Amino acid sequence: MSWVSRVNAETPLEAVLGQRPELLSRYRTFYRTLWHDGAVPRRVLELTRLRIAAIHDCEAEWAVRDAEVAVGDADLAALRAGDFSGFEAAEQAALQVAELMPYAHHQIEDADVQAIERALGSTGAVGLLTALAFFDVTCRLKLVLGVEARPCAFDDPPLRRGALV
Amino acid sequence: MSTKPRIQSAIPGAAADFASVMSHVPDITASFFDLYAEFWQHGVVPATLKEMTRLRNARVTDCGY
Repeated sequence: MSWVSRVNAETPLEAVLGQRPELLSRYRTFYRTLWHDGAVPRRVLELTRLRIAAIHDCEAEWAVRDAEVAVGDADLAALRAGDFSGFEAAEQAALQVAELMPYAHHQIEDADVQAIERALGSTGAVGLLTALAFFDVTCRLKLVLGVEARPCAFDDPPLRRGALV
Repeated sequence: MSTKPRIQSAIPGAAADFASVMSHVPDITASFFDLYAEFWQHGVVPATLKEMTRLRNARVTDCGY
C-alpha cells in the first residue's frame, strides 16, 4: 500500500499520480506514444519493459502484461534470469541495452547502440532508448511511491480502460 | 560512455544534439516536452528545489550534458 494519499482511480498508479491530475494526464499521453508511434515492435517493448521490471524487482510492473504480445512462460523465466540466448537477434540487442539502463548506463557502449540502430533504424533506436529510460523511471516511481502490485493486462498499452497501470 | 553523438541528427544539416536526435521520433518528443513543461511550470514544489534536485541528479548519474 502506498504511503502517499490516494484518490479514487481505476488503477493503483493513477490513485497516487492522481494527486496531480494535469501531470497524470500528460504522463499518460506521453507514455502512450512510446507504443503508438510505431518506432519499435511491440514485442521488443514488452520484453525490455519486463526485463527492467525484473532488474528492479518491481512486482507492480512485472505483474502487468501486454496481452497481445503474450510472452510465454519460458520467455518470462528467461527474462527473470537474464538469459537472452533464446531470443531473436534484434530482441537480444534491445535486451542488452535494457540490462544496463537501470544501474550501469555508463557501461552502454557505442557498439550496443549501433546494434540497435542496425536492427531498428535510427527512428527505432531513438524510440527504444527513450522507452528504456522511461521503463526505468516507471519502476523507480512505482517503488518509491509504494504502488501495489495488481496483475492485469494492457488493452491499449500502457493503459487498461484508459488508465495507466 | 561515448563522447560523441551515437545517433545522427534527424534534421539535415543540423548538429546532433538532444533536440535534433529526438526529432527522429517527433510525436514522442512533442508529448515528452509537454510533460516536462508541466513539471517545471506548475505544481507545489518550488522551482529552486526542482533545480537543485535536477543538478544533484545530474551529478549522481554523472551526466555532463
